[in-house]
Amino acid sequence: MNLSIPFAGLTLQTPLILLSGCVGFGEEYTRIEGFSNQDVGAVILKGTTLEPRMGNTPNRVYETPSGMLNAIGLQNPGTPYVIEHILPRLPHHETQFWANVNGSSIEEYAEVARRFDDSPVTAMEINISCPNVKEGGVHFGNDPVMSAKVVAAMRAVTKKPLITKISPNNAQVVDIVQACAEAGSDAFSVINTLVGMAVDIEKRQPILGNISGGLSGPAIKPVALWKIHQIREYTAKHQLPILGQGGICNGHDAIEFAITGADAIGLGTGLFYDPLLCKKILTDLEDYMQRHQFDAYQNMVGSLSC
Amino acid sequence: MSNNIHVEDAKLLAISHHEGDQFIMRLHAPVIAAQAKAGQFVHIQVSPERAMRRPISIMFCDPEKGRLDILIKKIGQGTALLAKRQQGESLSLLGPIGKPFDLLDTSKRYILIGGGVGIPPMLAVAQHLKASARMVCFAGSEVPFPFKIRPSTVILPGIPSTAMMGLDVLENWKVPSRLASQQEYFGCFNGFVTELADQYLSALGTTEDCVLLACGPEVMLHAVAKLGQKWQLPTQLSLEAHMACGIGGCAGCVVKTVENGKEYYRRVCVDGPVFDAQVLAAYAG
Ligand SMILES: Cc1cc2nc3c(=O)[nH]c(=O)nc-3n(C[C@H](O)[C@H](O)[C@H](O)COP(=O)(O)O)c2cc1C
Ligand code: FES
Repeated sequence: MNLSIPFAGLTLQTPLILLSGCVGFGEEYTRIEGFSNQDVGAVILKGTTLEPRMGNTPNRVYETPSGMLNAIGLQNPGTPYVIEHILPRLPHHETQFWANVNGSSIEEYAEVARRFDDSPVTAMEINISCPNVKEGGVHFGNDPVMSAKVVAAMRAVTKKPLITKISPNNAQVVDIVQACAEAGSDAFSVINTLVGMAVDIEKRQPILGNISGGLSGPAIKPVALWKIHQIREYTAKHQLPILGQGGICNGHDAIEFAITGADAIGLGTGLFYDPLLCKKILTDLEDYMQRHQFDAYQNMVGSLSC
Repeated sequence: MSNNIHVEDAKLLAISHHEGDQFIMRLHAPVIAAQAKAGQFVHIQVSPERAMRRPISIMFCDPEKGRLDILIKKIGQGTALLAKRQQGESLSLLGPIGKPFDLLDTSKRYILIGGGVGIPPMLAVAQHLKASARMVCFAGSEVPFPFKIRPSTVILPGIPSTAMMGLDVLENWKVPSRLASQQEYFGCFNGFVTELADQYLSALGTTEDCVLLACGPEVMLHAVAKLGQKWQLPTQLSLEAHMACGIGGCAGCVVKTVENGKEYYRRVCVDGPVFDAQVLAAYAG
């Protein structure tokens, strides 16, 4: 069965996309026997800023019921290093690599995008929903006007597809999607993590060095499905694809997202449960499509009847 | 990069419970056992419902029989779930992972210092080196040792004669060992394991060829790092961290290093778990 999909003007070999921050800079998972880049439509690299960033003080990760908190703080070696030293090493014939663009100012987002425009990445995800940094991130993403300004500034410097990553931490998700679409966003990643925290009761201190962190994994799946459902009417009307994400751990989850309206399926925390998840999900997708007589993945997308 | 990390469903061949909430698992994981090096770990799924696996050091490894032994202490929900596992069940392992101890120079005298659940990597080192290099192992615990112990037959310089107990398995390999505890266990040195090592070093004629290797609680690692500074010895420390991916993908497990005057956060899972104490911000002199 052909599982390739169209996405924001690109053709992806499968609907599965490995999510930013969970798969390093594209090489780490390939060290696992049985893992194949060919099973995924794209790999999104770790969030990148213009200058290198050290990231937050540990602890940075902590397990919570049905998921985990992370507060990495965008540790990355900076855009020039990624372009000069990492991208040339990646097997671009095996899958596509996308950048995850970050900044603490609109100018920084634009400059990172300008640099990646002249690189082998085939698309850029705009991270205006990172909850773990003091500037930029979710502080932009919670405001439709600021979000649109970031998108417009990046749009002005690149023709590559732009995928805006939406935060679930605000109520006006449709307003933000609309503002970003009008500013030139080609697609949407829904959702980034929810803000949360955990406490060490012996030390009476927050467990995470950053105090708060982003909650991911199955705990946020119902929120993700609901946010996709909320924006789907608008995005479908304007033919803007959605990269669904938030706790997808198996074929059943992936199909739920597809039916709700996810044009592509994002895998992050699910890989921590099972690093060889991709093949299993592809098998389950094929099996479901056969049973329900869908001859292409995209025919299943948004097939929800309410 | 080669595909050298494996996802393997290991069969639990045996589980034994010991005082101090400790338990030892014997696993059948032939693929991982064939490759594991001293100082590496496996990232164990505690339950299919849990997002984060738990990194556990490999203790003994028998590549011929395809077996791995691991020691775990029940300290939280994940390890408590592991403690409930029964013989015959299967466990998903990811491994072997991590930068092992550097044991290449067999002209060195390796001084192994393990504390509590930090003892297993030292046993892995001993198993790896056996007769190929000189070594001595000092193990400390504040709960009864989860291993068979017996009076050591090797005389070590500087060690009080009352501290005569050693680990049975090391004795069998002719690796001298001594035990330390503040619980006044019979035949154990009454104090810190690092004091024991210090007394040994003081009594050695020359310490130039010594290398310190250690794994254990943070306070112990600090004392080991100080010992390394006092005697000016190369010191390799094996660290612990909360880990999500376990293979370098998330930067969730980092430790601060200072390299050529610059600070970095390095991933404990793949840049470690073994680090030269010199580069660790918290341990360097
Ligand atoms: C450890 C970790 C690091 C992350 N880093 C980033 C990042 O750098 N940029 C970003 O846009 N999202 C980041 N995310 C969010 C994920 O890409 C994803 O949107 C989120 O975790 C929800 O999906 P999941 O439940 O499948 O993980 C990170 C998530 C985790 C768990
Ligand atoms: S646990 Fe993910 S990088 Fe170490």
